[in-house]
Parts: sequence; C-alpha cells; structure tokens
Amino acid sequence: MACSLGGCNGLKRKFENIEVALPFFLFSALVIIPLLLALDRLIYVSGKMPWQVFSSLDEHYLSQDAIGFTFLQALLSTALTLAIGIPIAWQLGRYHWPRIRLMRALLTLPFVTPAIVAAMGFMAILGSDGFDLRGERSTYLVSLLFAHAWFNIALVIRFVDPVISNLDPRMEEQLRLLPAGNSRWGRLRCFWIPLMFPSILCAAVLTFVFSFTSFAMVRWMTPSNATLETVMADVGGAAGIENYQIYSNELVLASSTIQFLVLILALWLLSALQAKRSRTIAEVSESHSRKKGRTGWLVLIPALLFCLSPLMAVIRSSLRVAERGPVISHRWTLEGWQSAISGDYAYISIIDALQNSLGYAILTLVISLPLGWSLSSGIHLLEKRGSYWAKPLDILTMLPLAISGVMLGLGILLGIIRISTVFFTMWWMPAIPHIMLSTPFVVRLLLPAMRRQDPELIENAQVLAMNRWQILTKIRMPLLRGPLIVAGIIAIAMSMGEFGASWILVRTGAWDTLPVLVDQLMTRPGFDPLVKPTAMAAASLLMLTTLILFLVAERFRPDGDGGMF
Amino acid sequence: MLRVEGAGKSFERILFEGLDLNLATGERMSITGPSGCGKTTLLRCIAGLEDLQDGKIYLDDIEVTNIPPEKRGIGLLFQKPVLYHHLDVAGNLRLGKRDADVHSALKEVGLDGFADRRCEKLSGGEAQRVALARALLAEPKILLLDEPFSAVDEELRSRLLNDTIALLGSRGTTAVLVTHNIKEAESFSKNIMTM
Amino acid sequence: MNSKVVLVTLIAFLASISGCLTGAIDDKGMMIDERGVEVPTERVLTIVTYDIYGLTSERIMEFTNQTGIKVEMIKLGDAGAILNHLLQTKEAPQADLALGLDNTYLQQAIDRNVIQSHGANISNVMESAWLPYNGTMAVPFDQGSICLNYDTNSINSSQGRDVPTSLWNLSEEAWKGKVAIPSPVTSSPGRAFMIATTDYFANDDDETTNWTDWWSAMVDNDVIITSGWTEAYETHYSGGYGVWNDDHIGDANFVVSYCHSPGVEAYWADNYTISTSLTLDRASFHQVEYATVVNGTANAEYADLFIEYLLTEDVNLNMPIENSMYSVLIDSGLPADNGYLYHSELPSLNAQVSPEEIAENMDSWLAAWEAAMV
Repeated sequence: MACSLGGCNGLKRKFENIEVALPFFLFSALVIIPLLLALDRLIYVSGKMPWQVFSSLDEHYLSQDAIGFTFLQALLSTALTLAIGIPIAWQLGRYHWPRIRLMRALLTLPFVTPAIVAAMGFMAILGSDGFDLRGERSTYLVSLLFAHAWFNIALVIRFVDPVISNLDPRMEEQLRLLPAGNSRWGRLRCFWIPLMFPSILCAAVLTFVFSFTSFAMVRWMTPSNATLETVMADVGGAAGIENYQIYSNELVLASSTIQFLVLILALWLLSALQAKRSRTIAEVSESHSRKKGRTGWLVLIPALLFCLSPLMAVIRSSLRVAERGPVISHRWTLEGWQSAISGDYAYISIIDALQNSLGYAILTLVISLPLGWSLSSGIHLLEKRGSYWAKPLDILTMLPLAISGVMLGLGILLGIIRISTVFFTMWWMPAIPHIMLSTPFVVRLLLPAMRRQDPELIENAQVLAMNRWQILTKIRMPLLRGPLIVAGIIAIAMSMGEFGASWILVRTGAWDTLPVLVDQLMTRPGFDPLVKPTAMAAASLLMLTTLILFLVAERFRPDGDGGMF
Repeated sequence: MLRVEGAGKSFERILFEGLDLNLATGERMSITGPSGCGKTTLLRCIAGLEDLQDGKIYLDDIEVTNIPPEKRGIGLLFQKPVLYHHLDVAGNLRLGKRDADVHSALKEVGLDGFADRRCEKLSGGEAQRVALARALLAEPKILLLDEPFSAVDEELRSRLLNDTIALLGSRGTTAVLVTHNIKEAESFSKNIMTM
Repeated sequence: MNSKVVLVTLIAFLASISGCLTGAIDDKGMMIDERGVEVPTERVLTIVTYDIYGLTSERIMEFTNQTGIKVEMIKLGDAGAILNHLLQTKEAPQADLALGLDNTYLQQAIDRNVIQSHGANISNVMESAWLPYNGTMAVPFDQGSICLNYDTNSINSSQGRDVPTSLWNLSEEAWKGKVAIPSPVTSSPGRAFMIATTDYFANDDDETTNWTDWWSAMVDNDVIITSGWTEAYETHYSGGYGVWNDDHIGDANFVVSYCHSPGVEAYWADNYTISTSLTLDRASFHQVEYATVVNGTANAEYADLFIEYLLTEDVNLNMPIENSMYSVLIDSGLPADNGYLYHSELPSLNAQVSPEEIAENMDSWLAAWEAAMV
C-alpha cells in the first residue's frame, strides 16, 4: 500500500505491525505452544531426544515396517490420485457442462466427507455385498489407494481446473499457429504441461500430506498394516506418564518427528510451488468460450459414480438390518434410524450429537473466520511491502494442515496437562483443534481473494476519508463476501467432520460430536444386529449435513476461484 | 496464394456472406471496417480457428476449408500479444523455429539483447514485437495481423507499423492486416478491402 | 485495518474461556458466584469409564431419580485408557468413580495410588468374583473368561483340521493365518490372553519351550494381530456376527474373545451360532471388571451410592443382556433364552495368575512379547 512507496508516517506503520503481529501471536499460541509442551513432555518422560528414538519404531511389533508402509502408500496414493484426477479436472475445466457447479461440488465432496464415514462406505462397496474383495488380502493396499484417491481428487480438481477454465483461449490458438504447436504432443510439451505442472504438483504435495497422515482409512482398509499415524493413535493414550509404558513415549516421539519433518518439507515445497503457480496463471482472462465436450461424459459419469457410491452405500447400510441365521440375509427397515434418534446404543442420541457438532462448529467459525481474516490480511500487507516475513508466515498458517489430527489432539492433551488438568473439564477444549484445522483453510480461501482484489478500491476509500473500520466493514468485507461465506461454511464443515483430535480430546459423553458417536457405535460389539444400522444412520446424518453445507458453499464461490477450498 | 470464395458466417446476426477474396504470393492487403463488422472473425476463419458456415478457402490452390489450423501454415498476430510466461523471450522465439538464431531475429525487430528477458517484464509494444519476430521465424505462407499495435500509443504505433511493413517487404511475406484505421490500411497496402 | 476484528476474536475467545470459569466448582462442591459467595449447587458424580454398554441413559436417569445425584460421564476407549487417564490427572482428579479397570490393570492402579478404598455396603457379590482381588480398593461389577473361540465349520478331520487339544496345534500348517488375536499392547482382552499363555506354557509338559516360543511360532504361522477386539472378532473371525457386516473379511477361524461369546451370538440370532469356545485348561483368563473410587475425590459418598446401585439386582442381573458379561451377584447366571446359557461354556480351569504377579511382571512380559513377535 502507500507505505511501500515511502512517505508514510512511522506511527501508522507501527500500528500496522501490531495488527499483523497480534493474530500471528494468537495463532502461534494456539498451534505451537501445545506442540512444544507436548514435545518437551515426551522428551522428559522418555529421557531421549527425538533423533535417538527412530530405531524404536523397528523394535516394536505394532510399529515395525510403519515408516516404509507410510511412505509407500502415500506415494502410490498420490500417483493414483493424479491419474484419476487430472482427466476429470481437464474435462471440467476445458469443456462446457450443464450444472457444472453442482458437478464440481459433488466431485469435491469427498474431501470434506469425514474419513470414518467414507471408510464405512468403502467397506460396504468392497465387502461381500459389493465387489466381495475383502477375502483377498492382496486387494487391501489397492483398496486403500483408491480410497485415498477418492478423498484427494478434489485437490487435483481445485488446483488444476481453474488453470484450464480461466485460460485465455488465444494462448492455445496462437500455439496451434506456430510450428512448435502443430502436433498434439508439441502443444502438450510446450504449453499444457508447463502450464499445469505447478498446479498438479501442488495437488500432488497436498495429496501426499493427507495420505501420509490418513488414519481412519488405513485402520479399516489395511487392517494388517500400520502407518506412523495409526502407531500414534495406538499408543498415544499412554504417552506422557512418568515411569509408565516408556516405549509409548518413544514411539510417539519418533512417529511425530518423522511426520513433522516430512510435512514441513512438503509445505515448503507447496509454498514455493504456489508462487510459481500464481505466475503461470497470471494470464487468466475473463473471456472464455468453452467448447462442448463430446466424449467427456465417459470420464465424468464414472467419476461421479466413483465419488458418490461410497456415500450411497452408507445410506443403504443404515436402512438394512441383518437377519442372523444360517443364511446371510438383510431386511429393509428404518429401525436403525429410530434407535439412532432415540440414542439407544449410545450415551446420547444423534440429534444431541448433531447439536454438539453444530455448537463446536459455530464456536470454530466465530474464532477461525476473524482469525483467518486477520492472518490473511497480515500476510497480504507484508507481501505488498515486499517483506521477507510474508513467506514464513504464509507457511506458518499452513502448519496445522501438516500436523495430523491425532498429533494435534495429543499435542493439546499433553500440552494442557502441563498447564492444568482443569482444562480437561472445559467443554470448549475440543474446539481448539477444530479452530487449528479450519483456520488454514480460511486463509487459503481469503488470501488469494485479497491478492486478486484491486488495491485502487481501497485507496479510493481512503481518499473518501473513510476510517479503517468503515473501510473494513463497508468496502473490504462486502467485496470479499463470496470467499468469506465459502470460508465460513468450509470451517463449519471441517469442524463437523473432525475426528482424530476429537477422539482424543472429547472426554465427557455429553460432548460427543457426530464423528465421535459414529466411532463409538462402530466399535461397539455388534452382536445385536441393530447396532450397525444405528452407526450407519449416525454416519449418514453426518454426511448429509456436510453435503448440504458444501452445496450451499458452492453457490457463493466466485467464478474461477483459484484458491484452495 | 490465398483465395476465399463465397465465405459466409453469422453469429447471432450475419457477419459476412458471399465474400470473395484473392491474394497473390508476396502481396499485402488490408481489411478495414467498423468494429464488430466481422473483420477479426474472417481472419480467424482464414487461420482455421473458426469454421466458415458457407464458402471455401484455398491456399496455393489447395482447399483448406476443413483442415485444422496447425496444418495450414498460417501465422497470426493477435490484437494483444500472446507470449508464454513460463518461457523467456528466447524460449518464446524457439516456438517459432526450434533452432532459431534468436539474436538476429530480435535485432530485426529492434529488441537487441532481449533474449533472456522474462516476458511479464516487457511492455505491450515490446511483447508484440517479440510475437512478430516469432511469427516470422515460423516462415508462414501468410501472416495475418489483427490490429497488432492497437494497444500502444499513436506515435509508437505508426513507427511499429512502418517497421513491420519494412520487414515484411524485405522478406516478401504475404500478409493481411485487419484495422479500423484507414490511414494504417493505406500505408500497409494498396489493396484495401472494406467490410 | 482489522484491529477490531482481532479485538472481537480475543473477546470471543476470552468469553468462551470465562464462560466456563464462572461455572467453576470449588473443592467443597459449591458453586462460587460472581461475588465470591458460595451457593449450594446440584450434586454431581463424575464417572470415568469406557463404553459400559449396560449403562444406558435410562439406567443413569434412574440413579439420578433415586438419589438426586446427577451423573456426568468421561468416556474413554478401554480399561487401559482409564488407567492412563487416572495417571495423567493424578494431581487433579477429574472423576470420582472409575468403572472398568479389570484385574489386569487393578494392581497398577493401586500401586500408583490413583484409587482409594470404597465405603459401599456390599453383601451380595458371589465368592468367585472376589477371587482375583479381595480387598476394599475395588468392587467387582461384572465378569467373564477370555479364551479362544472357533468357527465349528472350519473343523474338518479329513483335511487335518481337528479341534485343537493344545495351543501348539494352532502353530501348525493347518491353521496358518487362521488365528486372530488382539494385541496385548493395545487391547485389554489381548493382554488377558497373553497373561493366560504365560501360565499355560509354564504348566504344560514341555520343559524346553516357554510362552514366548509359542508366540514366535504363531508369528511364523501368520497369526493376525489386531489393535482391538472389534477388528479381530468382527472383521477377521469367520464364526461371528461379522459375517453379516460390510467390513467383514473372515480369514480367521480362531479368535480371542469371551468363553461365553458363542452364547451371546446365539442369543441375538435366535439360537443360531457356528461359534464355540476352546476351553483348554489354563488357556483362559478369568476377567473381573471393577468399580473403583478415584483417590482424592470429594464425592466418595456419591461414588459409593453408585457402586451400590450398580450391584442392585435390577441393574446387575441385566449384565448378560445389556453388557454381554456375567453378573457378579450370588446365584446369578446367564439367561437360558435363545441358547445363551447353552452355548456359553465354562472353562474347567482358568489361568492362575494373581493381580500382584500381573502388576509386577507386566512390563517385562510385554517386552518379552515384543521381542518374540519382531
């Protein structure tokens, strides 16, 4: 802004510095302090430093091969996700489709579907009533890869589709008229690949991150393999206690250190790529005449089926009760829903759990939206000033993305034990990880929108002698209304679906959120045939709520939104 | 060289119909007319980026009406220069000719020493000159120019146009210029078609 | 430009914290209002437990109606998680009563001073429930024996798959990859079964091998180790209710569960089950689950009242149906309906390991188990 041009008084700059520093301080306090306290505790109890415990992973039955398997499945998942996602993104971005917004929402819905619900859906499809693949152990890894691809194709679509759909068509036309572009391969090599590469790589890096830290899917799809995340979940509960199951401290310390290092590297890469990405898509144009796709339905119909079938399977399972006896049979009934609503198999009913979930979601919204706004605004200001701090702070806001839910929950748990155990009884505790996990998404949505905003609009307001508050409420916020609404809804959806951290932190039965309730019902012995449909009913309600929120968000998404979710 | 017979195209309204055009090798021609009259569309049809609804197009007496643009050997300079930002200036020139002598090509358009520049750092006029150099490197049968310098100010525009004319003349390139400026059309060619 | 937003954030954050702090209860169980004056508050009992399925909201409500004491639940994964929680919050206990520590964890809880003597009036608990522990630190509320279950359809003599007469049979080729056991590191039933194997192999005829050799042999025979009971029983076991579920794999013919699990199967499936238990002497573990008063609680008397409520016939005799466990009351048994009793075999001899032995050896056993498995 005017400051970078000089001639701006020191006081104003000081004021702005505080304004930038404060949200970052708050955010760091939320994210980093619990993790540092947890790290300190683990080192203290185990008596070892992080680099001294790596070998312990190999020495324990439950964690041997975990490092190798974590990397293997994450790399393969990323490859498969790209293979499935790129053709879909290409079709969506390049051709004209009826109801494209709805289609885009449905294809990206898996990303906000709670993993535990999705896992149940995949089980239903792969199980004896579906493709009947569970009898063959060799199919487990492939199933997991497809499940991860299912989750993450949304990332490919969100990153790659805008690059193609906002492309100035003359870019391609010009190339066709040049010798280098007179063949399909030539155009691919000289233009499409360099154009899409940074975006594809961004999607790949994030897919890797999410596959690396995936929990529920690994648990259910590959029951005989452990990842660093499942190891932490298995032994994390006993961590941090002096002279008690010391190995669990070592395992958590080793797993989280490896996870952290890999993920920091990934985020650094992502940040560098995003800068490159914004350079290559700087050529977007308003005008784009999409062509009519002819064969694209051959890609999009299977893609829609792939995205929706696990969700349909969950609903189907909620409506069927096993008739136990010599023959495997089921009958169609609403009894599962009835018992879920009356709370027969759990401490609370799904309606209460939904209320809890919504309560936490609203608390998350109230904090993460203003926090995310302030963070984005601060980064944007620093960027305009050309400050060296812009990039590290940008990465800092993404940090929670790189910290898995389990690690986050453990961090808070072990961290607050250090401060005071009184926090255990505070009902808002479980909202902290929700805030931490949703704020990065808010920033990822608002920051690109702020970058796109014409600075003249704000300078003009300053000329009109509006004060800062007026500029904020009358100019900046209304102009960013779309991204703000989308960010708010995504924050709610992320909060509603969050499981890993809640699972560790939700202590009082009356606070149970829907995902926690689903898990409780899922792990309850199912001798009584009605338990399973009840769990599926809870899962269906969770999924449908998320679906509705997501479809609403899609309506407010600005065209050609290149931001992440 | 270029022959258009009975060309017709409408988009919401009739842009042109029954249009004939004939251009010999090495000849230059200008097309003028008010904005929105279909000049650009005609040029895009000749290049093959759009299809004619009626009529035929011949290049060297071979019908190319249904041949895709990349097989026609035609060059086109868009109104706004199209450069690829993932490549530097030299990289963009090599899209026209893989083993191009980048330095002399740049010298010809008066951009000596620009080879390593990043494209987003170029001004509008500089960018269009790079695009021109690239188009010439490709040695097209015909070069189509769609108001190529409309984005630069008037003084510079006439200088750029004169440079371009000199360049085309020295190479004997067959070229069609679309412009709404009758003075530009007159200085570009004797042959002027008004739409 | 956004100082106000930051302010709003801070206010929202602080408000959410202070909203809870004003509701703080001091150590006398009195609510302190904003002037710092103590006002009488409702009586609340906080219970830390894993999912005890018998404790439905109706049962809790009934207790509240009878005594006027409100109940709050802290719910955790399993018995191990309860002990973890008690240890983590030892300095400032969050709960008054812990339900679900079993005889594999009890002694550690006693040794680490996280529980205290109860004052409940107990007279109707059967003698066998007091066998593993007979003191004032814990009151049994349900019990059962953990042992191997097997799918009767998998037995086929002509193919060399006979009913095992020794645990060693399970390490033979015929049962390669066919046995599912929850890990003793992460699961209570898994831990109980491991304890049983220490006793089983200490008392078998073979002097040259010990229990870790059997576990090593099982690894070589592709034993399936799961993180919890649910994965082992529901996902892997071919003879249980998992068959009707989507996530079923069914690759294991043997699984670690309760000796009376086949009875529970039959009860819920109209007297149909293909599952039965393998009751080899000392290969089963008598598990008792306890109600224990948290050390340092201000509400010990509420906890005692709840223990007494838990042992009323109304609640405890329903354990077999509602919690799939045996009641601990004198003369109680399993219901005969739908073959529950018929299919629930009683082991002739459980493993003989005392809570003290367990507490003393647990860490070294787990380390030895790990060493045998890796």
